[in-house]
Amino acid sequence: MVELKEKISEVFRDTNLVICWREGFDPIHATPHFVREESQIEDSIFNLFCVHNLCVYLPFLKEKAGILVKGCDSRTLIQFLQEGLIRREDVVIIGISCRGIIDVGKLMREVLYEAVTGVSIDGDSIKVKTVSREREFQLTSLLADKCKICRYPNPLIYDHLIGEPVESKVSWDMAYEDIREFEKKPLEDRLSFWTKEIGKCIRCYACRNACPLCICRDRCIAETRDPHFTSQSVELKEKFMFHFIHAVHLAGRCVECGECERACPVGIPVKMMKKKINLEMKELFDYETGINVDDKPPMYTFKAEEEKIKEHEL
Amino acid sequence: MGPKKNPYLPEIVTVVRIIEETPTIKSLQVVFDDPERMKNFKFEPGQVGQLSVFGVGEATFVINSPPTRKEYLQFSVMKVGEVTSAIHELHEGDKLGLRAPLGNWFPYESMKGRNILFIGGGIGLAPLRTLILFMLDNRKDYGRITILYGARTPIDLCYKEDLKDWGSRDDVDLVLTVDNEYPGWDKKVGLVPNVLLEMAPKPDNTVAITCGPPIMIKYTLIALSKLGFKDEDIITTLERRMKCGIGLCGRCNIGSKYVCKDGPVFSLAQLKSLPQEEY
Amino acid sequence: MERIGFLKKEKIEEYLQSLSKKGELYVPVDVGRAVKFEKYLTGSSICLDRPPTLPPKSVIYPQSERLFKFKFKKDEGNVDLIEIEEVEDTKKRIIFGARPCDSAGFSVIDNVFIQTDTPDVYYERRRMNSFIAAKACDKPSAGCFCIAVGGGPFDDSGSDALITELEEGYLIEAKTEKGSLFLDWELIEPGDDHLEKKLKKKEESERLLSEYLGELKKIEPLDPKTESFNDENFWKRHLSKCISCGLCTYLCPTCYCFNITDEKKIFEGERIRSWDSCMFFHFTLEASGHNPRPDKFKRFRNRVGHKFMFYPEKYSQLIACCGCGRCIRFCPVSVDIREVVFELQKPRRV
Ligand SMILES: Cc1cc2nc3c(=O)[nH]c(=O)nc-3n(C[C@H](O)[C@H](O)[C@H](O)COP(=O)(O)OP(=O)(O)OC[C@H]3O[C@@H](n4cnc5c(N)ncnc54)[C@H](O)[C@@H]3O)c2cc1C
Ligand code: SF4
Ligand code: SF4
Ligand code: SF4
Ligand code: SF4
Ligand code: SF4
Ligand code: SF4
Ligand code: FES
Repeated sequence: MVELKEKISEVFRDTNLVICWREGFDPIHATPHFVREESQIEDSIFNLFCVHNLCVYLPFLKEKAGILVKGCDSRTLIQFLQEGLIRREDVVIIGISCRGIIDVGKLMREVLYEAVTGVSIDGDSIKVKTVSREREFQLTSLLADKCKICRYPNPLIYDHLIGEPVESKVSWDMAYEDIREFEKKPLEDRLSFWTKEIGKCIRCYACRNACPLCICRDRCIAETRDPHFTSQSVELKEKFMFHFIHAVHLAGRCVECGECERACPVGIPVKMMKKKINLEMKELFDYETGINVDDKPPMYTFKAEEEKIKEHEL
Repeated sequence: MGPKKNPYLPEIVTVVRIIEETPTIKSLQVVFDDPERMKNFKFEPGQVGQLSVFGVGEATFVINSPPTRKEYLQFSVMKVGEVTSAIHELHEGDKLGLRAPLGNWFPYESMKGRNILFIGGGIGLAPLRTLILFMLDNRKDYGRITILYGARTPIDLCYKEDLKDWGSRDDVDLVLTVDNEYPGWDKKVGLVPNVLLEMAPKPDNTVAITCGPPIMIKYTLIALSKLGFKDEDIITTLERRMKCGIGLCGRCNIGSKYVCKDGPVFSLAQLKSLPQEEY
Repeated sequence: MERIGFLKKEKIEEYLQSLSKKGELYVPVDVGRAVKFEKYLTGSSICLDRPPTLPPKSVIYPQSERLFKFKFKKDEGNVDLIEIEEVEDTKKRIIFGARPCDSAGFSVIDNVFIQTDTPDVYYERRRMNSFIAAKACDKPSAGCFCIAVGGGPFDDSGSDALITELEEGYLIEAKTEKGSLFLDWELIEPGDDHLEKKLKKKEESERLLSEYLGELKKIEPLDPKTESFNDENFWKRHLSKCISCGLCTYLCPTCYCFNITDEKKIFEGERIRSWDSCMFFHFTLEASGHNPRPDKFKRFRNRVGHKFMFYPEKYSQLIACCGCGRCIRFCPVSVDIREVVFELQKPRRV
């Protein structure tokens, strides 16, 4: 990864801060790496375990920064710019064309959370060594779900680009097939699915805080007493309320980076709700998030006579 | 040992009198519904209570009537948030919950025979009031008593009755100040720490006790040190967000000390041994 | 009295059923992408092959519980009354299949909630009425470091019984008076003959763990004079990546901080106590708007400080972390608390 380090050095000279990745606590975990000193560049990496959407830090930074983004992550930057959450001149973007990343949670489950001591990748297969044994997997079986339906493997906005462009054959319809399939199920099935999933929620707010577009965070109304939308009890309805709040606040903003879902320790597929809303956004407003810097998110505008909303005619 | 007491259960008290101190501060005098409890209730000057408005929540207030006067317990409440606003809506005869006494208290035993300098700002006079009244009720035990009290404007001064009394006594020196000139105000003008430096009280055999907004405390502590007061002779009370009040919920810690249990009264010497920047 | 029993593998189902008649039984269950403790129901498939995602903490210290109910009433003279109704939970609870670190976690909370002059009666009642059997760990999971903080994969502190999974069955050792509950002689047989195999397993497991940990093998309580502890740059260097969520504290078997809030309907309401986290901004926010720990650096410092410095200072050098590794394993950005503490101690080590 000579190219990576060279690019980081180049950007670092300009910004004095580059947010990238380094190796984490074991071979299957990478961790965000804030390069603030020249000597830290050496540790930077990019591999299949660089799962994080590093854009999550940007709206809170008070300094200029260089940042590494995969194709999917780059949509976040566009969304930020649309919403005025960052200024273009405050970021230097190193884009990476991406062939997909690994669903690390899934890999950990596959090896029953055993401590991993080594990993090697050879073509389409990955060998994972744990304290007790070695196992081999097909890379495709461990690919993150979002990568299997990725339509934007190449960054949509960047100042520097690393890697050869990657082609995606995924269409809009393919990307939302999962939601459409789910919606075909009877209401009771859907309800029991969500009751079980949301029932696991411990309200740790990792999903919220990992979401680059959840920028209220410390002021989140899931925690305030005024307004008093949710209580601190762990009844199902309170948990649902939090998730509805999260989903609705992401309407027309969620870039489907999947961080919310990845962050969840108990594996709740929270991104599904957001995808569903994005589907509605597309159908109602013909809008897709994080594609065009000059777009205006539909919820930021108001038209008395929305073409596709008929209720006002009643 | 009998069954353990449940430390979360409040006892019911009734508001017997409400005094409007300032536009944002009200004092409440309360009595336990159980007359026996009222008679046997013991506390020390500086200790606090958790008042409950059922359905809204609990908040911490210092018991600012002294243990020497026990017809009622008095709390003064500044309106800042959820519970305090609910308290401001109460009427005489309304019921509240109370968990008290909690926390430590002023080391009045070790202050015997010494001169006492009280420095208060705004609602910060509340914890000092309990000790002042206690000392006045045991007047012969203490040396010279000086009170420096300031507020933003004359309207924001609490305990106007007490101030009148203290101002007229020969055995108390009272200095009042407000932040800015105000029509009709003929006493001092200036921020408390500045007035303190101007007064330049002697540190000899004197204990200084201060309470007020964080910023006032910060500069008062600096001023006292400048005047030569020893860290052990500077005493303050700290405020923290509190919930349980009994050292369990974990939020009021400064390093290994819990303000609710090890405090709220600390000497500057104690504070200096805690992690930086957190008080 | 015999203290060691052996349960044949094929009898586990029957054994759990019988246990569940002695009290409310909680076992680790795979709930889909996570393993958590659930009430045992006939047919529940118990999941012992990996560490539970969530520790059994909530069985004894629920995430949210009612402290009491209150009712607004009037007496004959139309005078307002407030009636308080305390909750008394005297149910017997049995936890089967905790990990040794999970049990150790309860010991940490015990010091705070029970060893005080104002014990938390809700926790205390439940704790005194609980029976815990921990399953010893054959091999370390990602992030485990129990041995570095005084525990171990076969440690029994905090457990009433220790279960070792052997090829043909489970060795059940009662470690406390209460542990006898797990010795169900109708279904188990004397187990002394299997002790040797257990010891071998123990040695092997400890060896694997310490090899895995390398230089992180030993973590000491932090000295209150640790210099980098007060150095803002230290925290910036290591924690810029933290997203300040509550995952690490909510998954932690030793974290016990809570919030108290009231909920009201018209004529009645309740006061509830629910988990809270020092990683949240609201935790220390004062009504005046002043916040002594306004940023994630100060908050993380408090978390590390509390576990490795303040708590040990108060409770004879005991570390308030049982090394379960959950906060490392599941942190969305892979913050490694071992690494942070290790770095803080570095000057002392060299
Ligand atoms: C030792 C001590 C003595 C004191 N003595 C006095 C005194 O004598 N007189 C006096 O006037 N004041 C005193 N105070 C201050 C007083 O306790 C506070 O002003 C009071 O608690 C404010 O309560 P509130 O409910 O009105 O404010 P809040 O409504 O609690 O204020 C807003 C706060 O609510 C919190 N919040 C938001 N959402 C939630 C949630 N979901 N759960 C919990 N909290 C939430 C926020 O953190 C914010 O800080 C004292 C404080 C201490 C520590
Ligand atoms: S991360 Fe998961 S458990 Fe935590 S609040 Fe979100 S959905 Fe709930
Ligand atoms: S809601 Fe989830 S998928 Fe959407 S932007 Fe936030 S983290 Fe990404
Ligand atoms: S350390 Fe990890 S789990 Fe803990 S608050 Fe930070 S990001 Fe969340
Ligand atoms: S701090 Fe982390 S490793 Fe330690 S007990 Fe808590 S969750 Fe486990
Ligand atoms: S202070 Fe923080 S680290 Fe300590 S128990 Fe509370 S939540 Fe956990
Ligand atoms: S930390 Fe130790 S006791 Fe806990 S799961 Fe890992 S090996 Fe077992
Ligand atoms: S208020 Fe709960 S520990 Fe101090």
